Amino acid sequence: MDDKTEVLEREQLDIEILRDVNLRLPAVAPREAFPAVPLTVDARLQTRAVGQRATRPDCRMHGLGQTKYIDDIKLPGMLYARIKRAGISSARIKRIDTSAAEAMPGVMAVVIGKEIPVNSFGPTFQDQPVLAADRVFHAGDGVAAVAAVTEQIANEALERIVVEYEPLPAVFDPVEAMRDDAPKVHAPNSNIYATKVVRKGDVEKGFAESDHIFEGRFSTQMIEHVSLEPHAAIADWDATGRLTIYATIGRITLARADMARTLKLPMSRIRLIGTTVGGNFGGKNEISQEPALALLSKKTGRPVKGVFTRSEEFTSSTTRHPIIMDYKSGVTKEGRIVARQIRLVLDGGAYCSWSATTLGKACILSPGPYKIDNVLTEAFVVYTNKTMTGAMRGFGAPQVCFAYESHMDDIAKGLGKDQLEIRLLNAFDEGSSSPTGQVLHSVVVKETLNKAAARFGWESQS
Amino acid sequence: MKRRGRGIGCMWYPIGFTVDANPSAATVKVNEDGTATVLTGTVETGQGALTVLGQIAAEALGIATDDVHVVSGDTDVTPMDTGAIASRTTYVTGNAIYLAAEAAKAILFEAAAPMLGVKPSQLEAKDRRIQVKNFPQRAVTIGEVAFRSQVVLGQPAIGSATWNPPTVAMDPETGQGKPFATYVYATQIAEVDVDDETGEVEVLRICAAHDCGTAINPMLVEGQVEGGISMGVGMALQEEMLFDANGRIVNPSLTNYIMPTSLDMPEIHVDIVQGFDPTGPFGAKGVGEPTAVPTAAAILNAIHDAVGVRITALPATAEKVLAAIKAKKRAPKQIPT
Repeated sequence: MDDKTEVLEREQLDIEILRDVNLRLPAVAPREAFPAVPLTVDARLQTRAVGQRATRPDCRMHGLGQTKYIDDIKLPGMLYARIKRAGISSARIKRIDTSAAEAMPGVMAVVIGKEIPVNSFGPTFQDQPVLAADRVFHAGDGVAAVAAVTEQIANEALERIVVEYEPLPAVFDPVEAMRDDAPKVHAPNSNIYATKVVRKGDVEKGFAESDHIFEGRFSTQMIEHVSLEPHAAIADWDATGRLTIYATIGRITLARADMARTLKLPMSRIRLIGTTVGGNFGGKNEISQEPALALLSKKTGRPVKGVFTRSEEFTSSTTRHPIIMDYKSGVTKEGRIVARQIRLVLDGGAYCSWSATTLGKACILSPGPYKIDNVLTEAFVVYTNKTMTGAMRGFGAPQVCFAYESHMDDIAKGLGKDQLEIRLLNAFDEGSSSPTGQVLHSVVVKETLNKAAARFGWESQS
Repeated sequence: MKRRGRGIGCMWYPIGFTVDANPSAATVKVNEDGTATVLTGTVETGQGALTVLGQIAAEALGIATDDVHVVSGDTDVTPMDTGAIASRTTYVTGNAIYLAAEAAKAILFEAAAPMLGVKPSQLEAKDRRIQVKNFPQRAVTIGEVAFRSQVVLGQPAIGSATWNPPTVAMDPETGQGKPFATYVYATQIAEVDVDDETGEVEVLRICAAHDCGTAINPMLVEGQVEGGISMGVGMALQEEMLFDANGRIVNPSLTNYIMPTSLDMPEIHVDIVQGFDPTGPFGAKGVGEPTAVPTAAAILNAIHDAVGVRITALPATAEKVLAAIKAKKRAPKQIPT
């Protein structure tokens, strides 16, 4: 048989494979099946590479439905974990009885908070337990984790875990939580767990020099990231004592450090594999259930998978901070902002998580992209007995942008100015000084205003 | 009756962490055939970061995006990275990869210089070749050089580097300092229809002009803007976690936590404003988070423009907008002063 016939036969075979509906579509289809010639040159093959509309190397897998997320991964002997949630916002745990759950056929192990070697984590303050041990801080806290041969058995086992609580006073409103007589979420510490101040110039002097004063209070809601893929991980503690974690997480370096801390393991014995993340938006910046899964794997000698339900995504993962924002601005009659005073109160939920970072960004960005000589921003983040707030796309910026831009339109209306013109009058230029006194470079804020206005067809109404 | 309004949302947003160190490390390995492998500790979270990082390595080495394979997300294999957070991947990880690629390229230039009879400083990498600057006809393919460097000279072209954005600590009393290395800017303008009998808001179109420094991949920038706007629409009009008196969430499901779907999405026009940041890889900054920042502001200003009511507490649900319209109608007419 010469080479030509062999080639021909293989090509025919490929086409046959395509016709067989029971077989998976080949990753690369034979040329004959789709003879269309692309009209444009593939951007992925271009040199220079920068500036090209190159397609993503993972898009074919996504398109064919072949991308493997955690939920698609099944290791030999793998168990399924579920976590018992407190359902009460503030309480002392008097007793946990897991014996009935452990006695169930198919339940392989149960872990409670007391078994976690170091039961606390968090990027700024380590105030969050992996599983609540003696104190519940919000209703979504986990109190026990179960590994079973099926998810259904694990779910049933949760029902048989008995937890006795002594309810404690709780606080849900951040402004109320700031008062001295409010119940302390993390007693004896103050509920105000981080503050930030940015002061530039003299706001009182600025207000005195202004022609008009505008004031406004704005507030935003708590929002969940709602990634399509919920929090999910597989822990595999093997016979050599090495722990492999497959996790849908955006920060594997930090996650490994958190795992080493909570489990008291050297980092060299932990391997963290970040699998394809099915949506993050800041919600998967830290560990959650992983240490509990690791201990369940250690107890059973089998890999253990845990996947949050959609409900747990809301009750037991981080969310966007609600912020109460008070703005006061002094402006000249031409519309130039002379002074701006801002007070921000962030609802920090039960744990710090990324609140300190959110507080910092919200505080620094809150005056807006405008040249203001006199600025005073005071920002507070406060514990409440609600689900924790943390990193979410924008870190406080969407909230303060809503406030400073609403406030800006109120000023424009009050002065009878066009909304675009008043922004162009005040916007940063190259070399402008930010509220923190930083000299800004590569500033194109006016270009974005003009570009968007031109595209929109904005016509002045002043 | 439906009333039309328009509103502006303008914003600034920093790239990277607030003061705190947030380094990235990277390794770039040029294979014997002139293709390359990049090792990075960041993770693809759906934004297309690995594509952009591959493009940065390819540009530095003078090869195509398709010639680069990016390995990511395994602490046993990849160097440390602060992670896919704070819109920092293109800027910080991108700079680390750029520097690592430059280090690998320097090894290639050492090998190529005697082949072309010039000094390494007279060489450039372009179109998959290493060539003498201003004399592109004097060139060898990058594959030939990489093979020779590794197999003949025993110097595989592997470069590693780290990068951390320069910041200045903020004064605790006044907050004065340089908390971030750089910022991006954006404006979104929204057009809405508000039904003054039901309070329902329909976002008709959003014109978004975003700065990201150099757009390494304009298609992915557009994708980020469209995704960010969908989050902004949810924040402006629909999404809200509600609690009962005991602090328990009452709507922890997608049945009653309402998010925008494709039917709620406006017509979107994306403009990438030309910018160049000398501190970023090939002038790039970032774009991930800022796309979600000005949308709600623009929509709420458009509602105000349409029906004259200022919703100060998000989200602006139909009930809230209708109640505000009714309250405004009830209010005694003010005589203009």
